[in-house]
Amino acid sequence: MVFITEHEILETVSMIRSENLDVRAVTMGISLTDCAGRDPRSVAARAHAKIVQRAGRLVGVADEIEHKYGIPIVNKRVSLTPIAHVVGSDDPAAYVEVAHALDAAAEQIGIDFVGGFSCLVQKGFTRADSALIEAIPEAISGTQRVCSSVNVASTRAGINMDAVVRMADVLKSVSRRTAAEDCIGCAKIVVFCNVPEDNPFMAGAMHGSGEPEVSVNVAISGPGVVRNAVANHPEASLIELADLIKRTTFKITRVGELVAREASQMLGAQMGIIDLSLAPTPAVGDSIAEILESMGLGQVGAPGTTAALAMLNDAVKKGGTMATSSTGGLSGAFIPVSEDAAMAKAAADGVLSIEKLEAMTAVCSLGLDMIVVPGDIPRNALAGVIADVMAIGMINSKTTGARLIPAYGKTVGDWVTLGGLFGEAPVMAVSSAVNDVFMQRGGRIPAPLQSLTN
Amino acid sequence: MRTSVIVTALGPDSHGLLASVATTVAEQNANVDDVSQTVSNRMFTMIMFVSFDETETTMAALKDALEATGERVGLQINVQHENIFKFMHRI
Repeated sequence: MVFITEHEILETVSMIRSENLDVRAVTMGISLTDCAGRDPRSVAARAHAKIVQRAGRLVGVADEIEHKYGIPIVNKRVSLTPIAHVVGSDDPAAYVEVAHALDAAAEQIGIDFVGGFSCLVQKGFTRADSALIEAIPEAISGTQRVCSSVNVASTRAGINMDAVVRMADVLKSVSRRTAAEDCIGCAKIVVFCNVPEDNPFMAGAMHGSGEPEVSVNVAISGPGVVRNAVANHPEASLIELADLIKRTTFKITRVGELVAREASQMLGAQMGIIDLSLAPTPAVGDSIAEILESMGLGQVGAPGTTAALAMLNDAVKKGGTMATSSTGGLSGAFIPVSEDAAMAKAAADGVLSIEKLEAMTAVCSLGLDMIVVPGDIPRNALAGVIADVMAIGMINSKTTGARLIPAYGKTVGDWVTLGGLFGEAPVMAVSSAVNDVFMQRGGRIPAPLQSLTN
Repeated sequence: MRTSVIVTALGPDSHGLLASVATTVAEQNANVDDVSQTVSNRMFTMIMFVSFDETETTMAALKDALEATGERVGLQINVQHENIFKFMHRI
């Protein structure tokens, strides 16, 4: 028998009861390649049937594991083969029809979101990609649970600037269509550079072409646990603090490993990856910003924020990789403004700007995430913000994403309430300097020298 | 199959708390393998290692019964499979 000390037992209980330790998501990746076809009606029917057949027990299994170990599993989700690879049509209406089938399947099996209304266009568009992008506004605004992501850049291919501009148009259109719900549709769309094909987090989850038939990917969480560990050691040196964060993340990740092993076995799926990400929620104490503030910053956004975040992100990875051999997904600290109450407050106080967040995204994942910008932002300005985030990912050979919410009818200082885990955030200012000539040149920013690694 | 769980109880101290928890465990045909308890600043903390045969009771039944006891005597009681503790603290 493994000997467990009283201290360890009470520490585990306290992490769950008092510090919001949970498993953020159990995401089942399902290949839809055997559902592919040109007739949207039959693709929709086959996709619906396969999702229900393979993931029908997902929620029940997650609940069973939650009950057995006393660890909350917050979200149960499904990620799919990028739909542009499944529907061989150049008619946007075909993709909208399939989106409704995915939504219906997600509702039937009781999951939170289904991801994979996606395409990868870093080097150019197929006719299917183009039709899917055109379908995104109607598909996302007309469904509840469908999430979309489009990979517009990579270190190997460069940045498809035509796709960047098209995605800015898509976001503005979704913002208008979902204005009555504070533009919530935009929270379900991510623009990526170097998209991971096994990411369990929404809105960017997809089941990539190198993935098995069915897999189970687990997203850990636990900012509250790390924050309390840091706050309890105000005298620790930075080296001691890094060790402390590593030890804490190790424990959090082990829980993810246990859940992934058990869930995959119970669901008859291959165990996929553990995503070593600290994902905040709007709950007080469950915040990345509060970790940084516990490290000694007066408020997130203060000079030194990027350095503190770099250290936190690195320590999380080091602790996590000791705990599992199946790392993947995004694996880094998240900095979504609306989903982190202390981050949103810093933005409202004028301490945290988009430019500072852009610097922060260079040292962590996911990018400019859940950031609300003025509803009347020009299309090219929005595209420019996206392009900047993509450039950081491309040059640094890392994943970056942009999940931006143009708040229709609102301006800087107004608040947007998205509800639930999406939280709320103030509208943040974007530079009004013009960039039209650059954005209208069209084509692709070439792959950087970093792409030539062979 | 024999299942091992760890029961933790926390709350303000009063007479008979350990007895209440142990009685509920016995009523569920489960066995107390080990137990420790302390009272500090009038706060009661108990850790109990419990095992049971799945043909005699279930984790869900044990959990429901202990949570009901906890509510009655003013304790926050958690019942968790031992593997979460093993996994979190050991490779």
